[in-house]
Amino acid sequence: MVQSAKPVPPIWCPGCGDFGVLAAVKKAAANQKISVHDLVLVGGIGCSGSIHNFLEVNGIHALHGRLLAQAVGVKLANPSLTVVAAGGDGDGYAIGMGHFIHAFKKNASILYIVMNNETYGLTKGQASPTSQLGFEGNVEPPFHAMLTALSIPAPNFIARTFSGDPKTMTAVLEEALRFNREGRGFAFVEDLSPCVTYNDTYKLWREKVLDVSKLPGYDPTDRKTMFRLCLETIEQGRIPIGVMHRPKEPGHDGLEAKLVGDRPGPARADIALAPNLASYQKLLSGLT
Amino acid sequence: MTTPAVRNPPLSAATGGEATTPAQELSDLSVMIGGQGGDGTLTVSDLLGRYFRKRGLYVYTSRNVLSRIRGGHADASIRASRDPIASVKSQVDVLVAFDNEAIEIGKAELAPHGFVLYDSTTFHSELPNSAGFPFATLVGGPLGQPIFKNTAAYGALSVLFGFDPVQTRLVIEERFKRRSPEALEKNLKALEIGRKVALEDPRVGQRFSVAEGDARDLILTTGNQAVALGFVVGGGRFFAGYPITPATEIMEYLQRYLPAFGGIVRQAEDELAAINMVIGASYTGSRVMTSTSGPGLSLMTEGIGHAGTAELPIVVADCQRVGPSTGEPTRNEQSDLSHLANLGHGEYPRFILAPATPEDAFDLTVEALNLAERWRLPVILLLDQALCQNTATCRRFELSNVRVDRGKRLGGDAAQGLAQYKVYQFTDDGVSPFAPPGTPGLWSEVTGNEHDEWGHVSVNPVNRVRMMQKRMEKMVRARNELPPCRLFGPSEARIGFVGFGNTSGPILEAMRILESRGIGTRYLQARTLYPVPVHEIEPFLAGLDVCYVVEHNYTGQLARLLRETMPAQHAKLRSTLKYDGTSFRAPEIVAAATGGA
Repeated sequence: MVQSAKPVPPIWCPGCGDFGVLAAVKKAAANQKISVHDLVLVGGIGCSGSIHNFLEVNGIHALHGRLLAQAVGVKLANPSLTVVAAGGDGDGYAIGMGHFIHAFKKNASILYIVMNNETYGLTKGQASPTSQLGFEGNVEPPFHAMLTALSIPAPNFIARTFSGDPKTMTAVLEEALRFNREGRGFAFVEDLSPCVTYNDTYKLWREKVLDVSKLPGYDPTDRKTMFRLCLETIEQGRIPIGVMHRPKEPGHDGLEAKLVGDRPGPARADIALAPNLASYQKLLSGLT
Repeated sequence: MTTPAVRNPPLSAATGGEATTPAQELSDLSVMIGGQGGDGTLTVSDLLGRYFRKRGLYVYTSRNVLSRIRGGHADASIRASRDPIASVKSQVDVLVAFDNEAIEIGKAELAPHGFVLYDSTTFHSELPNSAGFPFATLVGGPLGQPIFKNTAAYGALSVLFGFDPVQTRLVIEERFKRRSPEALEKNLKALEIGRKVALEDPRVGQRFSVAEGDARDLILTTGNQAVALGFVVGGGRFFAGYPITPATEIMEYLQRYLPAFGGIVRQAEDELAAINMVIGASYTGSRVMTSTSGPGLSLMTEGIGHAGTAELPIVVADCQRVGPSTGEPTRNEQSDLSHLANLGHGEYPRFILAPATPEDAFDLTVEALNLAERWRLPVILLLDQALCQNTATCRRFELSNVRVDRGKRLGGDAAQGLAQYKVYQFTDDGVSPFAPPGTPGLWSEVTGNEHDEWGHVSVNPVNRVRMMQKRMEKMVRARNELPPCRLFGPSEARIGFVGFGNTSGPILEAMRILESRGIGTRYLQARTLYPVPVHEIEPFLAGLDVCYVVEHNYTGQLARLLRETMPAQHAKLRSTLKYDGTSFRAPEIVAAATGGA
């Protein structure tokens, strides 16, 4: 084995929810037998976005808010790679919101993990798009990613996990990765990942999380039901977690398959002149 | 002067075809076709262009459209000449007007001998040397729709210029054969209607005759099409962009060309997504590009800097338009140069290449892809609206010049020969060997954070200095690999021009005019603008008494770069500037160079 970039120790505070995600990603990838050289982890900007530095993995540290665009670029250019984008709630739901919405529409087969701690931890505790009313003087109602995700009619995998339950998180991430690797499209997992320094919500969230699969009528293939269950749970002051959407029919809906089909994709296309010469001549002969 | 009126043409007018004056031979002619957007002015220009090409003439067409889908004044201009030209003629020989506004706008540019052919369906003009026919009603009756009025106008023009009837018809057949048989038939009928009324009207006759040229085996194309083709041939396989005038056609051409080569073109949700998708694709080892114009370039600026420090090769085509902000989206300007030379916060290396013609754009797009990958940095292709969208005759694009240089790209078996793989390894030339993700046995971390050789975040001062030098010195080390400038004119001349992009056509034409007056001049066409090729420009300037730096902006951005990098030449430089949204006409440059401005 060639010596490549070695993981460095995490920069996170002891007890940070992101440790749970790191462990779950590691385990899910290992369980899925994904080779390190075929896995690309695109990190956002913020505490959580540095996750790729702590694993043996191909990593991109993207610009703030742009990790999804870079991750989609990676996947489309080389569909054989397994691509995971990981960042925080500020990165994904504030500065990166435009790309967030479009990622569902695009439906490229990548996994997007948002570690939601309801604050900007790295810049020392400002209110974020998901902050509760009153947090650091916040007067804007919190953004609920599950409701937004469910409102976009695309065949995505959508789930929410809690760092306090690493076992379930690993299982969900594994399903999401499987979904991606079968070329079925975009998988979005929001993990409730408390910031022990600026917004320690472990105790509160442990009391309030509610696994929607336990609710009567739970059917993750039915968008309407899931939206209602989610909304009702929120209105009752609880925090819905679990698999929120999983397309009914297994199929190959990933954007990359629509664009390249069975071909290897841009990164692995043979671009040497000789094998393409005849086609190039034909292309240029069309000019008059 | 004009009054709206419906006039019937003298269809009964005898045999016609007899010119009131002998036909005037034109070896360099210009036709302007004006009307409302949607009147089909571009179609008339296209048909004329096809005819002139059949006669072996050089052709240059431009358009003046507003940023709207329909309506508003729009005009197209076409110039045809026996001499190589790539600029707009300063005077119009024939004006075709579909409304009165087109006459009001066009008559200012009309030559003294100029003739006006207009559609008299809704107005009448008292201009001398004019003839009006109600083309819209003439075709509207028999063909059911007035839209064929443009083809009828082409028919009347063919009489005015004494075109060969067979070739005239062939042009229509070639233009419309790919449409429905019905469209072809109706256009052929419209052609005959236009020819008939013109032949029968003594006001028209054959006023002009068009000289034949020997410009064969050339193509008529735009800079945007050339960039798209250069991208394909240079091995580009991933493109992401966002629609913006005047860059959009690059994306549209690529949507047509690239899928056949296993490539991908994505229209992103905004320019932020476009540049970052391209950056992600670059990490996989694919050759990538995005294209944009001023406002989009501003949004992409953070991403381009990221590629610069993360050492990911990207090509960005900037199709300049009038700025800042929304400016004039459809108009010509060269005002992004200063911004690009200093693009973004922080410091990182970049190359700026500026083609002057479509064939140059083809060659330099290939070169941009090679240089980006060879040096692992962003390369900007600096274009302008006139180069992007005006059509010009040029040599066929040459595949024999094309080479694909993958630089220090490692193969799929890279791991076998390596003990360790550092994506930012220090090397003699500052370029680290690169193995994309998916290469068995190794992996890498790329980042916009300052990093060590492994790609790990680092704030170590010693490392920071070494990394800055590694990246920044690429601009020095690459100097001799960057596209050389082109020199024109006799080496003994003491008056010179420097320019880039679309000013090349008018400058070369101005040099011919000056030469005919016994004034020899030289011209340096800069093809690499940044890093400034001092080693090429300084000796050029040294041999001159005075040098006119010709550019389309207010502040003289190229001149400023030259003064900054060659202070000793400061006194020789004179700025010749134009920033009204239109491109230079040769006489304007002649006037500037002879002090008659």
